[in-house]
Amino acid sequence: MTATPSHEIFRLDYGSKFEREIARIMAAFEEIKFDTGRYPKRWLAIKLLEGDADILARVQSMPNGEQIIGAAQRSMEHLKSMLGDDVDMLTADHRYGFINGVVRQTLQRPLVDRLTLTDQIDNIVTHKWLGLPIFFAVMYIIFRLVIDVSSPFLDWTDSIVTGPISNWFSALLDLLLAPSWIHSLIVDGIVAGVGGVLVFVPGLLILYFFLALLEDSGYMSRAAFVMDRFMRIVGLHGKSFIPMILGFGCAVPAIYATRTIASHRDRLLTALLVPLMSCSARLPVYVVFGLAFFGSRAGTVIWAMYALGILVAMLAGMVFTRTILKPDVTSAFVLELPPYRQPALKSVLIHMWENTREFVRKAGTVILASSIIMWILLNLPWGVTDQQNSYFGKFSSSISPIFAPLGFDNWETGGALVTGFMAKEIVVSTMSQIYLGGEEAEITEPTTIAEDLVGIGQGFVEAAVQSGKILLDILPGVHLVGEARDSEDTALSLALRDHFTPLSAAALLVFVLLYVPCVATLGAIKQEFGTSWAVTSAVYQTVVAWIAALIVYQGGRLLGLG
Amino acid sequence: MTEPTQLHLLRPGQKATITRIGGATALRRRFAEMGIVKGETILIERHAPLGDPVEYFIKGYHLALRKEEAAQIEVLLHGGDSHA
Repeated sequence: MTATPSHEIFRLDYGSKFEREIARIMAAFEEIKFDTGRYPKRWLAIKLLEGDADILARVQSMPNGEQIIGAAQRSMEHLKSMLGDDVDMLTADHRYGFINGVVRQTLQRPLVDRLTLTDQIDNIVTHKWLGLPIFFAVMYIIFRLVIDVSSPFLDWTDSIVTGPISNWFSALLDLLLAPSWIHSLIVDGIVAGVGGVLVFVPGLLILYFFLALLEDSGYMSRAAFVMDRFMRIVGLHGKSFIPMILGFGCAVPAIYATRTIASHRDRLLTALLVPLMSCSARLPVYVVFGLAFFGSRAGTVIWAMYALGILVAMLAGMVFTRTILKPDVTSAFVLELPPYRQPALKSVLIHMWENTREFVRKAGTVILASSIIMWILLNLPWGVTDQQNSYFGKFSSSISPIFAPLGFDNWETGGALVTGFMAKEIVVSTMSQIYLGGEEAEITEPTTIAEDLVGIGQGFVEAAVQSGKILLDILPGVHLVGEARDSEDTALSLALRDHFTPLSAAALLVFVLLYVPCVATLGAIKQEFGTSWAVTSAVYQTVVAWIAALIVYQGGRLLGLG
Repeated sequence: MTEPTQLHLLRPGQKATITRIGGATALRRRFAEMGIVKGETILIERHAPLGDPVEYFIKGYHLALRKEEAAQIEVLLHGGDSHA
């Protein structure tokens, strides 16, 4: 191989007819005194001939742009009639012809087509019979890992926030002789609110870890390949599958992830269905109610919620596809299947960290703000003692009749659902604020900071051991974790049992699964698709949620379950 | 053997040369971006478990297309089955 002279500017020859038109446009630049600005003249002439939409828009806004576009249009028509194809196809042919020439001269491929490792893996994971079972198994394992393995860490985080951190704040505020209302605002409002969010961090870290593994290894595009036919029943694209899976984590990054879909129509439909995937913020609602009302069958109930979300998304997709979002020509499926790679740990960790940070940042602003507003509404007018008489209680009472046919027409539930609009996980924290907030906290032995720190460290080790056991438990035939989970009744679950029956609890879970996406999700939809689609999203989901919860509650009563 | 056919009608293991690309401008442009141009050799790799899309091997990389889109690509089948 000889050294290429670097001083010579390389120029691809597009053939005499084509070159003549390029020269003609470059001459027109001079003639009309059109300043090409930062664009090289030849490059700009070729782009104009190709009819590149982005460049045309830019040139249009430049001085004398209209004239140049007119000249380019004439050349374009001329070339098309002479050469019999669109100009951009001709340039692509020339470029690939050149590339093939270079490759032929420089690259030697082994004569025998080698069955590479990628091919061997694909023979299995996209196999006619094994492909789908493998796909569902991968999803199931990730799901189990995220939900089960993270739960000991979730409990650990929770115990730190409600234990030592709350106590430290209380002690500090006592030292500063803070008035009791400030004490209440900080400990019951802010610390409790932020704590309710931090509890998700372990689960999210694990979820994003596996999503990054799937993406970086190359399996994600195989999943799109395997699932495309299935997704198309619902009117979606194989690539819609990736945002849908992300939706199980948080709908906000999932909606931004729709940017990988080329067709606007496919993108929009995906974004409208993503919030129906049960996000991790809804999980605590299921867990609290599941454990309070369904005991050992809580896992099944939680599974059913996820399945119901998928089912409703499928139905909604079919309805949208046949009404306001009919498929158009842009929805082509052209997907590269890259070779499998070993994911780089650093890239996986960065992915994990950035996504989780985004969630926490959202928590730090939206959720903190809503916790404070909630606390204020609960404590005004000044001196209110009974929460039902607070502004919050009055508003909640006024809307609660809407929920009567669904089986939960008490003001507390109405209020919790209203705050859930800020972020779904707040439904639980509001209920615990309302039901337990007024009660005296149980008296705990005073501990020193040193003892607290030791306790936090021990708790982490115990959580790690426990989640390691659960991890091994997922393997068939291994049972390290006892079947009977120590379902000690929390104060909240006792309070909930006074206000709900298992049936009305189930109806509430269905409603929480489906109703209006949280503020942050609607914000993302608005930014990507405009206000009217954000409104559409909010309205259709709330209507669907109400109807679905009605069917569960009234249907259950007819079957004699109530 | 010399009759052109449509890409989506071929079976896994068959090899063909692209002779013509039809369809809307946006689709043809997308094809060109992915290296699907006249004269290129394309190998049919496998069908997805549900029969569609189909995986192809072109220009040294793997690409999946729905049958609907592959139908826009006219090809000339290479003689006999591939020697790969």
